[in-house]
Amino acid sequence: MSEIYDIGYRHYDGPRLGRAHSTRALAVHSLRAVFGLGRTARSKIMPFALAVIMLLPAVVSIAIMALIGQRGMGYSAYAVIMQAVLATFLASQGPAIIAPDLRFRVLPLYLSRPVSIVDYVGAKVTAMTAALFLMVAVPLTLIYLGELLIDLEGPPQTKEYLGALTMALVLAVLLSAFGLAIASLTPRRGLGVASVIAVYLLASASVPIFYGTLTSTGNDAVARWAWLINPFWLVDAVQVWLFGTTPNSEGGYPPGPASAVIVVVLIAVAVSVLALRYRKAASR
Amino acid sequence: MHILATEGLTKRFPTVTALDQLTVTAGPGVTGLVGANGAGKSTLIKIMLGLLPPTGGSARVLDLDVTTQGAQIRGLVGYMPEHDCLPPDVSATELVVHLAQMSGLPRTAARERAADVLRHVGLAEERYRAVGGYSTGMKQRVKLAQALAHDPKLIFLDEPTNGLDPRGRDEMLTLIRRIGAEFGISVLVTSHLLGELERICDHVIVIDGGRLLRSSAIAEFTQATQSVTVEVEDGATPLAARLAELGHTVTPHGRLLLVEVTGPETFDAIRDTAVDLDLCLIRLEQGRHRIEDVFREEVAGV
Repeated sequence: MSEIYDIGYRHYDGPRLGRAHSTRALAVHSLRAVFGLGRTARSKIMPFALAVIMLLPAVVSIAIMALIGQRGMGYSAYAVIMQAVLATFLASQGPAIIAPDLRFRVLPLYLSRPVSIVDYVGAKVTAMTAALFLMVAVPLTLIYLGELLIDLEGPPQTKEYLGALTMALVLAVLLSAFGLAIASLTPRRGLGVASVIAVYLLASASVPIFYGTLTSTGNDAVARWAWLINPFWLVDAVQVWLFGTTPNSEGGYPPGPASAVIVVVLIAVAVSVLALRYRKAASR
Repeated sequence: MHILATEGLTKRFPTVTALDQLTVTAGPGVTGLVGANGAGKSTLIKIMLGLLPPTGGSARVLDLDVTTQGAQIRGLVGYMPEHDCLPPDVSATELVVHLAQMSGLPRTAARERAADVLRHVGLAEERYRAVGGYSTGMKQRVKLAQALAHDPKLIFLDEPTNGLDPRGRDEMLTLIRRIGAEFGISVLVTSHLLGELERICDHVIVIDGGRLLRSSAIAEFTQATQSVTVEVEDGATPLAARLAELGHTVTPHGRLLLVEVTGPETFDAIRDTAVDLDLCLIRLEQGRHRIEDVFREEVAGV
C-alpha cells in the first residue's frame, strides 16, 4: 500500500528569470494559441486548414518542376497571389490572441507581474508576426528545396528566394501590427474578426475602382498609386524597389522608395494605436 | 519590519479623491483592510503594486518604493483581483503554469509550482478541465493559486470571499489563515465584511473615504468585555427583574440579557436565579467586542 504524505507548503528558492524570459514565454504561448495548440481540436481547424491551403501551390509548383521541368509560381508572387488566405488567417487568428485577455480581464494578472504593458504588446505582435511569416516562409522554403532537389536548368533562384523571405517578414510585421491594432479595439472576438476582414476587403476592393477610374481618364501615373492601398501590393511595391522583381500588378508601381516609407508609417501608426489602446486598458 | 508602509499617501482622480493623506503600516502575518465599497481599498492595492502612481505621499512595500521599484515589487508579491479574470478556454493547470512563467519561473519549475499550489488550494482532478466550466468557488481557488504560483513574500487578496456560499467562504478563510500562518506568506486581505476578518487577521486596518479610521492588532478590537450574555427560554423579564433586585446591572438586548460581571458571584447569581424561577437556561456566554461595533462607533464618531 502506498501512502500519501502531506509534506506541507514548500517554498521556491530556484532561479527567478527576468522580463526577457517572461516576454519570450508569452510570445511562445501566444504563437501556440494562434495555431490552437494546447487548445481544443475545434480551435485548430481554422489555422491548420489555412496553412494547408497555403502549402497547396507550393506542392503544385514542385510537381510542375518535377514533371514538366518548368518553374511554377515565382517566389516574389507567392504572398500576393495567396493574399486572401493570409488575410483570412490574420482576421481569424489575430483576435484569438488579443480579445480573450481584454474580454475576460486577464490583463491585470499579467500587469501585476514583472512584465510591462510594452512587453505584453511586443510579445503579442511578435507571435502574430512569427505565425504569418511561417505561413509564407514554409511554402517558399518547400519550393526552394524542391528546386534544389529537382535540379532545373540554370542556377537555383537563391537571391529571389531570400528576397521573398525578407519581404514575407516585412509583410508579416505590417499585417500583424495592423491586424492586432484593429482587433484590440474591441474585446469581442467575433467583432474583431469581422473588423479585420472588413478593412482588408475595403482596401482590396477599392484598388480596382480607383485604378480603373484613373486609367480610363488617362491618369496612368496617378493610377499606379492605387495599388498601394492594398497592403499586399504595397509590400510587393517595396519588393520591386528593393530587389527589382517583376511587379505583380498591371502597370507597375510608382517608382522610388515611397512604398517603403508608407509601410514604415503604417507600422508606426499601428504600434501607436496599440500603445494607446493598452495604456487605456491597463489603467482600468 | 514592515511589509508595507505608507506616508501621507494621496490619490486623486479627476472627479474623486480615492485616498486622502493615508499613513499606515502593516507587519508580517495576516492584515485585514476593511472599508465600505469605494473606501479606497482597491486603489491602495493598485498603488502598492506600482501600477498606479500616487498623487502625493509615498508608499513602500517589502521596503521597496512603489514609484521607482514597481517591477521588483511585482516579482515578490502576488495579487488576486476582485473581479473575474480567468480565460474560460484553458485549464487551471495551464493558466497557473503560464502565469508562474510570467513571474519569471523557468518552465519546469513553473509546472511543479502549479501542481503544488493547486493542490494546496484544493483543486484535484478538475484542474485539467477548462476553467469555463468551474463553479464560483473553484474559480476563486484558481485566482488564489495564480497569486501564489511564484511563492511570493506577500499577497494582496481583493475581496477573496466575494460571491461564495457560506461553506466556500469558510474554506477560503481557513485557507487564507493557513497561508499567513503555515506558508509563511504575509497577506493583505480586503473585505467589507468585518466578521470574516475577525477570524483570520492579526491586524486590521479600517479605512473610510480614503482616510484611516483605525489600525490596530485584532486583540484590541475584540478584547473581552466585562459582560455576559444570558439566554433563557421564556421569562427573560422576571429574570432581569430578579437580577436587578440582587444589585446587578442588566440590559435587555432583544431576547437576550446582557449582565455586567462584577465577579464570579455574578455567574452564581444567574445560575441560582434561573433555578429559583424554574427557567430553562439556554446560553451563558462571555461577551466580546466585535469589530463591527468598533467600526460602527468610530464611523459615527468621525
